Amino acid sequence: MAASIYILVALGLTLVLSIMGIVQFAHGEIYMMGAYGAYYFCIVIGLHYLLALVLSTLLMGVAGIIIEKIFFRPFRQGDFLPSVIMAVGLMIMLQTTATVSFGSSIKVVTTPFHGIITIAGAILSWERLIIIVISGFFVVVLFLLLRMTKIGQAMVAVSQDMQGAALQGISVDNVSSFAMFLGCMLAGVAGGLMGAIFNLSPSMGGYALMKGIAVIILGGLGSLPGVVVGGLILGFIDSIVPPFMSVQMASMVGFISIILILIFRPQGIMGRPSQ
Amino acid sequence: MSTKKLVKFISYGALIIILFLIPLVITGPYQLHILIMAGIAVILTSSLRLIFNSGQLSLGQGGMMTIGAYTSTLLVMKMGWSTWVALGAATATGALLALLVGYPFVRLKGIYFSLVTVFLAEVIRLIAEQWRSVTGGSLGISNIPPPDPIKISGLLEISFTSKVDFYYLILVFTLISLLILYTLEQSRVGITWFSIRESDSLAESIGVDTTKFKVLAFCIGSLFAGLAGGLYSQYNSVITPSTFGFFYAVYVLIYMIVGGGRRFSGPIVGAVILTFVPELARILKGYQPYIFAVVVILIIIFMPEGLVSMPDRFIKLVTERRGHA
Repeated sequence: MAASIYILVALGLTLVLSIMGIVQFAHGEIYMMGAYGAYYFCIVIGLHYLLALVLSTLLMGVAGIIIEKIFFRPFRQGDFLPSVIMAVGLMIMLQTTATVSFGSSIKVVTTPFHGIITIAGAILSWERLIIIVISGFFVVVLFLLLRMTKIGQAMVAVSQDMQGAALQGISVDNVSSFAMFLGCMLAGVAGGLMGAIFNLSPSMGGYALMKGIAVIILGGLGSLPGVVVGGLILGFIDSIVPPFMSVQMASMVGFISIILILIFRPQGIMGRPSQ
Repeated sequence: MSTKKLVKFISYGALIIILFLIPLVITGPYQLHILIMAGIAVILTSSLRLIFNSGQLSLGQGGMMTIGAYTSTLLVMKMGWSTWVALGAATATGALLALLVGYPFVRLKGIYFSLVTVFLAEVIRLIAEQWRSVTGGSLGISNIPPPDPIKISGLLEISFTSKVDFYYLILVFTLISLLILYTLEQSRVGITWFSIRESDSLAESIGVDTTKFKVLAFCIGSLFAGLAGGLYSQYNSVITPSTFGFFYAVYVLIYMIVGGGRRFSGPIVGAVILTFVPELARILKGYQPYIFAVVVILIIIFMPEGLVSMPDRFIKLVTERRGHA
């Protein structure tokens, strides 16, 4: 369950990173806004949870397109430092927006899914099962999109060689917009799903960002299957350790194992060796 | 040339004298607090730039600061050490930790290095939170004693009870740190660091042990982060595991980039100005962070080389105008 959320967040991060060359530090804030969006549509307006989730996810996708145009386009594939500033500035703005408009008190989204289900002896709550199913759906759709469609192939091309792709007549601007759209949608849906289980707070994004970065580093920068493997490993660590120690200990074990893996295999588990 | 040097010398001297005279004019404890925090930020930002000079971007300086702060505090409160010795120990621990992790870390390049330092800082924070018996858990440690009084019989006596005393303490430490960092940058070692930043394979090909120099830069940068942490804990008298989290490291990075990472004066200007910006926007209450974000973004859009590039750009603009006329 934790693994599926990590994978969703990390997929978005890695899409933006490999296509635009920008570490999207505000990704965690998009995740947070996605959760608040679901909260707003579901609790404040009173829509069905699933409908609220869809609306909030789409909203985040559109926000992604706008953000790409205003904040990131001038810094695409450019210097690393100015793009960090843009992303961090955006992060501060989004966090302030959430604090100002929703307050810093903790919010809860209640879902219509209650009860538990037993599958082959394993007991799962419906809420968690839904999270796993929806995120699995997104992962499969994303892979099919990249493999089968023209825009997906264009994205792969741009991530491999931006200039080469542009010479082939691929509009890098459109591909970047689309990458941010997808990336923010993935973060938004992850936030909306997580909001159904945990409490919402304006600072929840930092945790997601940290886990997302951990996953893409673990899996290898720019490798989508790596993200899935990395997410599963980190999710496994985070669910296997807490019964023996604490949740914080699980985080610590995760980070230390990433540092160790990087030292022995600097390109990550499934990454290509760098030049 | 010598007159130019003289002018430079006099103007820096005047600036330092003004800095020493500030408490005569500004006496409000709140204003002094901001100046003190700016001083600590200057130490930290300048030391970050030293690491950056060797081509590495550390985002774990907050972790080094936490280590320094806890080392100093625990040595004073549990072992009864003198605060000055403890401050030295805090400084040393920062450097030691960097030395310990430095060799494996610097093998990683670019963003990978930055990210492992993030994780290192997270691990340090989590240890400080979990090791409750020693560190007091997530509530941290409070009632940290201020620095021991300095007594030179008959000459002077400083007891560190008011903000003004702390202002002078931080000012002296900031100036000494800057002097050391500047001397290092101008030295042969400093030039070697620049060569590694420009191209580490080229530097290696002419016989520079790049690994050694990168670790050295990381150690010295972390040394000053440890010092800044120790100073902060003694000044603020409260320290928690999350005081210097990931966010703090990112802010320090912003100070450096916005000031201008290419010049020695960049981080100083960036740290001082950006410490003041949020304070000026205090009337906006909840919307205050917007101002910080907007100011920072505008500076980067219009001055990608940072604030210190402003005079150069201005001169260039003027001479270009003249050229056209």
